[in-house]
Amino acid sequence: MNFIQKSLASGQLSGLLADTGFGLRAALAQPHSGAILRALAVLGCGIIGIYLLLPRGVEGGGTKLSRYLGGALATLSLVFLVTFPIPAGESSLVGHSSAILSPLSDQPAVTGWTFYILALISLASAVMMITARNPVYSALWFALVLLGNSGLLMIQKADFLSAATIIVYAGAIVVTFLFVIMLSQPNGAAAYDRRTREPLLSSITGLILAAVLVGTLHYSATHEGWGKMTVGAQRPSAESIAAVAEKSNQFGKISGPHYVAELGKTLFVDHVVSVEIVGLLLLAAVVGAVLIAGHQVERNARQ
Amino acid sequence: MPGSEPVLNNYLIVGALLFTLGTIGFLTRRNLIVMFLCAELMLQGVSLTLVAFGSFHGTWNGQVFSIFSLSLAAAEAGIALALFVVLFKRNHSLDVSIWQDLREPDQPAILDEPVAETPDEQHWPHLTPAGLLPGEPHAPQGHASHHGHARPTLAQAPVATAGGSHGN
Repeated sequence: MNFIQKSLASGQLSGLLADTGFGLRAALAQPHSGAILRALAVLGCGIIGIYLLLPRGVEGGGTKLSRYLGGALATLSLVFLVTFPIPAGESSLVGHSSAILSPLSDQPAVTGWTFYILALISLASAVMMITARNPVYSALWFALVLLGNSGLLMIQKADFLSAATIIVYAGAIVVTFLFVIMLSQPNGAAAYDRRTREPLLSSITGLILAAVLVGTLHYSATHEGWGKMTVGAQRPSAESIAAVAEKSNQFGKISGPHYVAELGKTLFVDHVVSVEIVGLLLLAAVVGAVLIAGHQVERNARQ
Repeated sequence: MPGSEPVLNNYLIVGALLFTLGTIGFLTRRNLIVMFLCAELMLQGVSLTLVAFGSFHGTWNGQVFSIFSLSLAAAEAGIALALFVVLFKRNHSLDVSIWQDLREPDQPAILDEPVAETPDEQHWPHLTPAGLLPGEPHAPQGHASHHGHARPTLAQAPVATAGGSHGN
C-alpha cells in the first residue's frame, strides 16, 4: 500500500499533462514535486543545450549565437549535475538535499575529485561528439569519451578493462572509423552532416529517457524500500556481499596483487564456453567483413 | 555496505547519461558512421554500469560481461565498417535517408525538405607556402653550371600557390 501511494506521488507528471490547471496545483502539492522539478530543470537545461548545439541546417546570423548559447547551457547543466541540490524528503536515507551526482563524502578527496573530473570529461565529450558537424571530429571526441571512461573504470579497480578499452577501442576501433571516414568522404563535410533528422523530437525523447533513468536511480538510492527491484531497495549487507564473492569467485578477492591473473582465471575457468563462443563470433565477423568488402573489389577486377 | 552507495549511484547515473546521449545522437544524426559511433557510445554507458555493479558486489562478472561486450563491439565495427564502404561505393553518400527504400511496402516515404547547399561552411586549412617548391629539385651548387643559368625558384611561387588554392 505504501508502495502504491509513493508511486502515485512520483507519477504526478501524467496528471500534470492531463489536467493542467488542477493537475498543476495537485502536482505542486505533492511531497516530491520540488525534487522532480529541480531534476527536470537540470536535465532540461542540458537537453535544450544539446538541441541548440545540434546541426539543424538553419543558415543565417543566429546559427553561431545559438551554438554558443547551447554550449553554455550544456556546460551549465554539467555543472548543475554536481552542484545543484535536489531536496530530499523526510523518508530519504540521506536526510538532506544532495546533487544528482552525490558527493563522495566517504571517499578520499583525491578519488572524489578524480571521479568528477573524469565523469565531466566523459559527458562533455559525448555531447561534443553527437553535435560535431564533421565526422572526423566525432570520432576524435569519441576517443576522448573513451579516455574518460577508462579512467572511471580504473577508479573501480578494473585495470585490465581500462587498458583494454584504450587499446581495443581507441587504438583499433576509432582508428578504423577514421580510415573509413577518409575512404568514404573524400570531399570534406557533406550536406547531410550539417542537418539532423527531427532534432526537437529526439531531444524530447532523450529528456524523457534521461529523466526516467536518473530519477529512478536518484530516488532509489536515497530512499529505502521503494519497490522490490530497484538499486536501493535491497542493499546487500556486507555479509551477503562477502558470501556471494566467496561463492562466485573462489580465486581471490577482486583487488589483489595478482589482479589480471585472477581475472584471467575467472574468464577461462568460469566463462570458458562464452570465451569460445565469442572467439567463434570474432572469426565469423572477420570472414564476413572480408566477404562483404572484398566482393566489390573482386567484381570490379573481373569487369 | 552503505558507504559505497553514492559511489555506485554516481557511476550508474553517468552510465545512464552516456546511454541517453548515444540515443539522442543515434536518433538525430544522418551520417551512418556517426550513428554507429553513437551506438558505441551507448555500449560504453552500459559497460560502465556493468563494471560499477560488479565492483559493488565484489565479483568479476561485471568485468567479464564488459570484456564480452568489448569484443562484440569489435566484431560489430568490423562488419559495419565493411558494409559502409560497400554502401558508399554504391551510392556515393552516407546519408541514412537514402536507404529508406528498405522500409515496409505500405509505409510512406519520409520526404525531407530540400537541403540548402551552403558551400561556405567548408573551411579548408590554409597553409602558407614556405621553402623551395616541390617540383623544383634543389640542384647542388656544383651542378648549377650544367644548366647554364641559375633558375629563380622564388619566381614561380605565386603560380603554385594559386593552383593550390583552386583545389577546393
